[in-house]
Amino acid sequence: MRDNTGAIVGGSRVKSTLLGLMTWAIALIIFFPVFWMVLNGFKEEADANTNPKLFFDPTTAQFDEVTSNPAGLLGFGEAFSNSFWAVGISTILVLVLAIPAAYSLSIKPVAKWRDVLFFFISTKFLPVVAAILPLWIIARDLELLNTRLILIILYTAMNLPLAVWMLRSFFAEVPKELVEASQIDGANLRGQITSVILPIVAPGLAATALLCVIFAWNEFFLAVQLNPVDGSTVPIWVTSNVSTRGNFLAKLSAASVLATLPVVLAGWAAQKRMIRGLAMGAIK
Amino acid sequence: MVTQVPFLFSLWYSLTDWTIVPPSPREFVGFDNYTSFFDNQFFREAVWTSILMTVFSVLLSVVFGTLLAILLDRKFFGQGFVRTLLITPFLIMPVVAGLIWNTQMFNSSFGVINWLLDAVGFERIEFVTRFPLASIVIVLVWQWTPFMMLISLAGLQGQDSSVLEAARVDGASSRAIFFEITLPALRPYLELGTLLGSIYLIQVFDHVDVITGGGPGSTNVPYFVYQRSIGGGWQFGQASAYSIVVVIASIIIANFGLRVLSNLLEGEAAA
Amino acid sequence: MSEVRYEKATRIYPGTEVPAVNELDLDIADGEFLVLVGPSGCGKSTALRMLAGLEFIDHGSVYIGDRDVTLTPPQDRDIAMVFQNYALYPNMTVAANMGFALKQQGVPKEERAKQVKEAARILGLEEFLDRKPKNLSGGQRQRVAMGRAIVRHPQVFLMDEPLSNLDAKLRVQTRTELTDLQARLGVTTVYVTHDQVEAMTMGHRVAVLKDGVLQQVDKPRTLYSHPANLFVAGFIGSPAMNLVEVSRNGGPPSIGSLQVPVTPDVAHDLESTGGDLVVGVRPEHLTVGAEGLPGKVIVVEELGSEAYLHVQVDHQHEPIQLVVRAAGETEIDRDDTVHIAIDGPTHVFTPDGRRLGT
Repeated sequence: MRDNTGAIVGGSRVKSTLLGLMTWAIALIIFFPVFWMVLNGFKEEADANTNPKLFFDPTTAQFDEVTSNPAGLLGFGEAFSNSFWAVGISTILVLVLAIPAAYSLSIKPVAKWRDVLFFFISTKFLPVVAAILPLWIIARDLELLNTRLILIILYTAMNLPLAVWMLRSFFAEVPKELVEASQIDGANLRGQITSVILPIVAPGLAATALLCVIFAWNEFFLAVQLNPVDGSTVPIWVTSNVSTRGNFLAKLSAASVLATLPVVLAGWAAQKRMIRGLAMGAIK
Repeated sequence: MVTQVPFLFSLWYSLTDWTIVPPSPREFVGFDNYTSFFDNQFFREAVWTSILMTVFSVLLSVVFGTLLAILLDRKFFGQGFVRTLLITPFLIMPVVAGLIWNTQMFNSSFGVINWLLDAVGFERIEFVTRFPLASIVIVLVWQWTPFMMLISLAGLQGQDSSVLEAARVDGASSRAIFFEITLPALRPYLELGTLLGSIYLIQVFDHVDVITGGGPGSTNVPYFVYQRSIGGGWQFGQASAYSIVVVIASIIIANFGLRVLSNLLEGEAAA
Repeated sequence: MSEVRYEKATRIYPGTEVPAVNELDLDIADGEFLVLVGPSGCGKSTALRMLAGLEFIDHGSVYIGDRDVTLTPPQDRDIAMVFQNYALYPNMTVAANMGFALKQQGVPKEERAKQVKEAARILGLEEFLDRKPKNLSGGQRQRVAMGRAIVRHPQVFLMDEPLSNLDAKLRVQTRTELTDLQARLGVTTVYVTHDQVEAMTMGHRVAVLKDGVLQQVDKPRTLYSHPANLFVAGFIGSPAMNLVEVSRNGGPPSIGSLQVPVTPDVAHDLESTGGDLVVGVRPEHLTVGAEGLPGKVIVVEELGSEAYLHVQVDHQHEPIQLVVRAAGETEIDRDDTVHIAIDGPTHVFTPDGRRLGT
């Protein structure tokens, strides 16, 4: 990359290696809690609840236990399925809604596009906690408590501002001439978007979608307030493993690993896109 | 026409988020609710805690994130892998992060940190009971540093390499280049990171719930409101009043934030 | 004091086999204005950057004065560089941009301001000293980039296509100003361009590069009259030299029915050289008149001061096009028939580029 502007070697070789080592060390330290969590998932409870042990007899018993569905308690399969649906549909909805919005704010800006953008972002300034009361009341009156639908709606609303904000800057990067050329070629709005804009902003789309998925999947407060019984999502399922009776550390670790795995894998796979996306989307 | 539709949707959604309805018919006690909470010491503490929590988390994660970005903006062995490792904390579910840190790192009996302290000869520290706010901030910083790092990294990589080369030819040392050229160029990115981070960090709830349950000095405003309402207080009237105050405060802060935003967008228009 | 010397300097980009700059040997005198010119990818920018310390030198060495600077970092070479995109520091004013290098050297503030002001005066930038680059036009930015360089009184000026982002009129104007400035300051200058007109009009000497290899380095006039190989012949001169492939069948070389006059030393070489040839004649050394090789005018380029005719003639049973210079405000039209004669020096090359004669 671009650190060595002058490609001259010198004593800086040593310095360079040292810095590299330091970076590795820091990365490993920062990653350690995650590593430890994974490790603990494979331990027996007895091993997990003593002084930190690095070596032990690994077992998958914890994973088996947390994925079984004891009667009356929130089941693994159910929680995951609820989460997938809520997150998946809300993300798709967000994109479907955000794309035209971003288009109208960038390609052919309305006169007051900045005001509109401000408006979008300002909805994010309100703490969710403050709104939970009326939300809860409305949800109850609409009989949406304990359903997947309420989460889908709320997650969409929650992520929409971010998506519009990010997609707008990606769209703004598309050379205007390309869009104009397609318009001359007779493309209508849908055609312009699908054939010209989307291919170019694809990495930005991926980054935005990933961020939405991350925030929706990990969302706990709304889920636990509005869906404590049915339609509960993975975050709730994880916390249900915290028990006041007996040791639960290993089980919790196993559950945590499973809970975070989808998002972590997605994040790892898309990280290059995410950086590029953030670079393009954060600032023009 | 198409521009109107998303606008309407957003309007509806924002109304969904914005609607505050104090259930006045049921417990109409006038403005008592409002006056009472300014006297309410707990509320004041919650506000103070919120401020501390947000400021420290944002500041520390921006600083650490930028430092990490600088380290990462070089060529070295396994660069991609290291970056992958460093991103992970941000991807972890907040409740999971809170639980893991609580039980596995901070735990005075079995926690890793304490075990290390012990091994080096220091006394074990009961993090969560003795330093509840700090404990939360540590986990928040752990989770948000990667986010700031990515933003700073984007800023670093967006630099015009010929400007850096010109600086070299002009005789600048690495330190001079960093402070006089790189840092000013990073400013919009840092501002954006701070803004976005603050938006999310002001609203932190999961960590508080899971790590300290609102223990001494660690209740921030969201948790406070929660406690007063659904979380057990069921004081809808009072909680609503607090909520409205929070909304007003948010609007004030938002105005400030919007000014930052408008600078960013101005920069975009002029560029 | 500040000559520049490349000694078998070589740069091979990692992962490639062909060197970007291949064993460049070049001596540049103190105070000389040397232009590096060539088509895209010929290695001229790379060679410049090697001198600047922005490219690693794989083999060979580079000297500034009598210092071997091959391993010296750019900040210690006492050079100043003007970049193609100017590379101005975006967050600093013009004055700060120009004073930056002096600041790095530890020059005190008043002295800095004085020198910046002086450089600004020379370049006519005084009223812009407080502006930021984004509020300047392209031409103004270019001057700031120049100012940043001259304020330092370095040993060598390096310029990487500094005029290519200016519009045509401004480019011509700035060209003369640059040449004048360099003559007054007397600083050794290495200048890269892909525009051979710039090269010819500005340089004391011009070095032509192709594919990383130095083709010829000479005064512009010599490059024009005695190109060392086929590539230089076709590259230097605008419009380009007419190059015609001639298969010999025993007789002297000719274009169509037109016999090609050659100097004695070329004739001598011809005897020992068999096979096909490439004959070069510049448009300005061809005339249209009453007699000569007949041809049909395809295109007339009227420039006012002169005109260039693209004429199709028959040569060895194939039609070829020759560019011929005619007087300006010409009466000749498309589809006219004209007669071409040779009225000037010719150049003869082997097909693999070697020049015959001297």
